[in-house]
Amino acid sequence: MGEVEKTFIGGLHEKLIEEKVIDESQLDPDFPKLIRKYGGKDVMTCLQCGNCTGVCPISLKIDYKTRNIIKCCQFGLKKYTLGTRWVCATCYRCYEHCPADLNPAEVMIALRHIAVREGIIPPFIKTAVTNLVKYGQSVKPDPEIDKIRKELGLGNIGVEHPEFGKVIREIGVLIRATKYDKLIGIQEEVKT
Amino acid sequence: MTAPAPQEKDTSSPKSKGELPSTARPRIGVFVCHCGSNIAGVVNCGEVRTAAEKFGDVVVAKENKYTCSDVGQEEIIKAIKEHKIDRVVVAACSPRLHEPTFRKCIQQAGLNPYLLHMVNIREQCSWVHSHEKGKATEKATSLIRMGVAKAAKLEALEAREVPVEPTSLVIGGGVAGIQAALDLANMGFKVYMVESQPSIGGKMAQLDKTFPTGDCAICILAPKMVELSRNTNITLLSYSEVEEVKGYIGSYEVKVRRKTRFVHEDKCVGCGLCAEVCPIKVDNEFDLGFGQRRAIYVPFPQAVPLKYTIDKEHCTYFKTGKCLLCVKACSNDAIDHKMEDEIVNIKVGTIIVATGYDAYVPMKKGVYRYWEYDNVITALELERLLNASGPTGGHLIRPSDGQVPKKVAFIQCVGSRNKKIGNNYCSRVCCMYAIKNAQIIKEHEPDTEIAIYYNDIRAFGKGFEELYHRIREEYQVEFIRGRPAKLSQNPQTKAIKIRAEETLLNAITEREFDLVVLSTGLLPSEGSKRIGKILSLTTSPDGFFAEAHPKLRPVDTAMDGIFIAGCAQGPKDIPDSIAQAKAAASSAAAPMFARKVTVEPLTAFVNEDLCTGCALCMELCPYGAPEMVQGSKGGTKAHVIEALCHGCGTCAASCPQKAIITRQFTDEQIYSELQAALVHGKSASGKKRAEVEVS
Repeated sequence: MGEVEKTFIGGLHEKLIEEKVIDESQLDPDFPKLIRKYGGKDVMTCLQCGNCTGVCPISLKIDYKTRNIIKCCQFGLKKYTLGTRWVCATCYRCYEHCPADLNPAEVMIALRHIAVREGIIPPFIKTAVTNLVKYGQSVKPDPEIDKIRKELGLGNIGVEHPEFGKVIREIGVLIRATKYDKLIGIQEEVKT
Repeated sequence: MTAPAPQEKDTSSPKSKGELPSTARPRIGVFVCHCGSNIAGVVNCGEVRTAAEKFGDVVVAKENKYTCSDVGQEEIIKAIKEHKIDRVVVAACSPRLHEPTFRKCIQQAGLNPYLLHMVNIREQCSWVHSHEKGKATEKATSLIRMGVAKAAKLEALEAREVPVEPTSLVIGGGVAGIQAALDLANMGFKVYMVESQPSIGGKMAQLDKTFPTGDCAICILAPKMVELSRNTNITLLSYSEVEEVKGYIGSYEVKVRRKTRFVHEDKCVGCGLCAEVCPIKVDNEFDLGFGQRRAIYVPFPQAVPLKYTIDKEHCTYFKTGKCLLCVKACSNDAIDHKMEDEIVNIKVGTIIVATGYDAYVPMKKGVYRYWEYDNVITALELERLLNASGPTGGHLIRPSDGQVPKKVAFIQCVGSRNKKIGNNYCSRVCCMYAIKNAQIIKEHEPDTEIAIYYNDIRAFGKGFEELYHRIREEYQVEFIRGRPAKLSQNPQTKAIKIRAEETLLNAITEREFDLVVLSTGLLPSEGSKRIGKILSLTTSPDGFFAEAHPKLRPVDTAMDGIFIAGCAQGPKDIPDSIAQAKAAASSAAAPMFARKVTVEPLTAFVNEDLCTGCALCMELCPYGAPEMVQGSKGGTKAHVIEALCHGCGTCAASCPQKAIITRQFTDEQIYSELQAALVHGKSASGKKRAEVEVS
């Protein structure tokens, strides 16, 4: 939220919040339909009771909470919906409690689909997918991790296994075949 | 069955009443209704009328903005007189809505009212095809072509009159049933009231005060209960169940099981000596488990009838064969452990169903932990705790330790407006009873902090909004807009912590309360489901009984002579229940005042020459109308008791011999409709006129 400084007559100096009116140009009435297309249930059934926010394990850490996001979806306020949903762990607690039988978690997944297609991709997703193609797992192998595993009495992850290379190649083939690399924009990184 | 002798002669040989010599072609008039823009907005009525004019036998075709209006009906009457038409086809709305209107109209013009056929071009055409105007017009034309073909085959019928027994049965002794019974009794009719519990009074007797005025519930109900028991026109059958209902409007035969109280009602004076000596104490259902009663008991002090009842499940005598302390204590010899259930057969003309509701019990695995935490209670339990004649004498205490709660929370919409549990409807009373109870708690203990967790506050009735404002302004009750997500109990203090999003603040709140009240919704009662099956009543998607028309016939059911009142029809508050009960009483009184009722002649009859007496119709009929009798030319033949027949057509459709004919839906009439539809379809595709096989 931007701030503007303003000096009033008489010298009173105040920091004020930037004027912000949501006008129709920011609204997209077809947005709920788009969400349905990507597998979300009809967001228009939401009654804004706030149960989803209350049960959400991450809600205290984010500005735009589950209920807000669903409300923005109803209005088609894309600006607010396509930035924050990656923190959702899709634990489905919101779905379990929703009295309107809406599935906020699946709405979040649908929003990710839409965001990716609009080119809004958080860097960590690119990193994770690149790791997946290169190493067969979304977290890059690190000697530090091996050390901790050893301390905990756990064995190696198994990347040295002779079959593992084959698995990595298979993942690469799948990702390229589904054009997922193109969608996420990591063709350069995963070029073989 | 003491059914009035069906007027076989008039109805089964309709041609005797037909007004035409069989050789003359029928003269048909078609009237196309615009229904404002309901039909004309989609269907091109002018085109339809022009097409209709060219159909065979059609003498005149007209359009009207509203055919059901005076002007429209005048036009039909004028056409009948001017053009000498003898069959009328009205293409308009559903016959359910206006068939009676038009039947009366053509009867005024001197035609037999059953020489009318209605074609539904609104519900079945314009409304469902609003996006395809061209095709809708085509379909309307086809439907009218079929209607004209059927109209040509219509036969004159005579309506029957059946006598109506001036006695009514009211099922359910809650406030709605009590009001309906009193109204009917005051009009001079005999009334039987059947109540399954030991006392009448229903749920209202359990409440503390009523919103929005704060009248004490039992104080305003008890006089009505007493009035009912003293009214000589009313026979109260308490602790009884309706077992079977046979018959039809005017003469229903009802079998009532009078469950045994093991106490002679005529001898018991309600002194209570028996209960004083009874050694068994069990939870009192009336107090929802907070108070206790003996094994011989009255549920509450104001019970009507004030007769004691032995709870067989808990009585020592029925377990061990010993005790009988109550028998020794009774100075009137009223108690008899060997009494048995009694069956009472009664005959009534009309039935009012007022079977009420059950309060929702929060499910075991729900987040609100009703089963787990002592200090989470339902609203009905709160009513008992606040009630002066309740288990605590009207002092609100926490169930966990008996202390007065300092902080109380209400959670709204528990069991209502929830698609997850299938209760999509609003229970209508929870907002107001929570507000009312908040006020009562504040009056008892002004320092109590009260918060109400709500989604929407529905304060729609007279004086409701004013109470809502008062509770915010005068009593400082806090309203938190949000559905609580989690309740957790402090193991030491047993206080309940509520986590919820305050949606208007966009923040998650966690607050601790001494007592949490779940504002539970209303469900159709278990008894309603049973009675619904016995009476073949239909239910709405919410499970409550369906009224015959949501606006115009709010207390009627699809079954003639059976009316509904109170929460059996849907959640409602006390004034609405009373209003509906009065409406049901007046609707039930109408045929009883007239002592007779006109019954449609659209029934089935059997052609004895074809009937082989296989009795398939007897098995299939949902109303028990067909019976097997000795045929006039010998052999066992089916015969339809017309008074029981609803004209559903099941028997006619299933008869392997085609011996059963449903009037106004004869095979000939239906096939002529089909032919009109199919033949035109073929010729339109350029093929030869098809021979439609009618067999």
